[in-house]
Amino acid sequence: MNFVIHSPLASIEAVRPVFMVVMGTFLMVIAWRLCKSADGWAARLIVAGALLLGIGYAVLVPLYETGAIARFSPKAQTISNSAMFWQAMKQVVMNSGWLLFGLGLAIHAKVFSPTTPALELSKSPQNELVS
Amino acid sequence: MNSFLNTIITNGILLDAFGMIGLCLLGIAAVKLARRYQSWGGTMMAVGAIFLLVARLFMMLSPHFMNDDILSMIGPVGISLTIALPVLLLSFGLAGIVWGLWGHERWVQEGSR
Repeated sequence: MNFVIHSPLASIEAVRPVFMVVMGTFLMVIAWRLCKSADGWAARLIVAGALLLGIGYAVLVPLYETGAIARFSPKAQTISNSAMFWQAMKQVVMNSGWLLFGLGLAIHAKVFSPTTPALELSKSPQNELVS
Repeated sequence: MNSFLNTIITNGILLDAFGMIGLCLLGIAAVKLARRYQSWGGTMMAVGAIFLLVARLFMMLSPHFMNDDILSMIGPVGISLTIALPVLLLSFGLAGIVWGLWGHERWVQEGSR
């Protein structure tokens, strides 16, 4: 634990990890509450995305912020395996989390389905003239 | 194992693009929710998604155009803004999304009662 930086209590550096933990946990709880009565792909995607984001924001980002994980920098001469592993994990968890969460919420908000039902469109004035 | 990690990190732009697509979808969904149901949760979520998108775009693009000339042009205030603003946008964006989702969840619960 040579990387831990002791920041003064209640400074922005000390508050940010706590804020991230609270937000990540809240996101997971709210997503679960939103979807506990629903099933289908929208609910599954929202919960899966929120879980990934919750892990990212409640565990990974605070560890980075407090300095418990060495930051990955591509310009460094020697890159330790652990820094590379955590960087890869952060990339995968955060980005796939946002993708799943966004996709789930888009399906929930019916972004992909047409606004007017197809049945209404089939009635055209020409049909009425024929009949 | 090491080569697998290498591929993930060298293809970081692809993963970043996935994250950006997710945030764009989140923003579109939030705007649609806000317009259709007049729920304030949707508006908050849309604002949060836009904040996060702007911060991520800046963090992705800044290494490519930030150099000493630009840094000396914007001065010390500008430099501190470039450090502070992305962090603030990321924090408030996340807070906006969580707050908006909470508002939407309450709206859904009230509607189902």
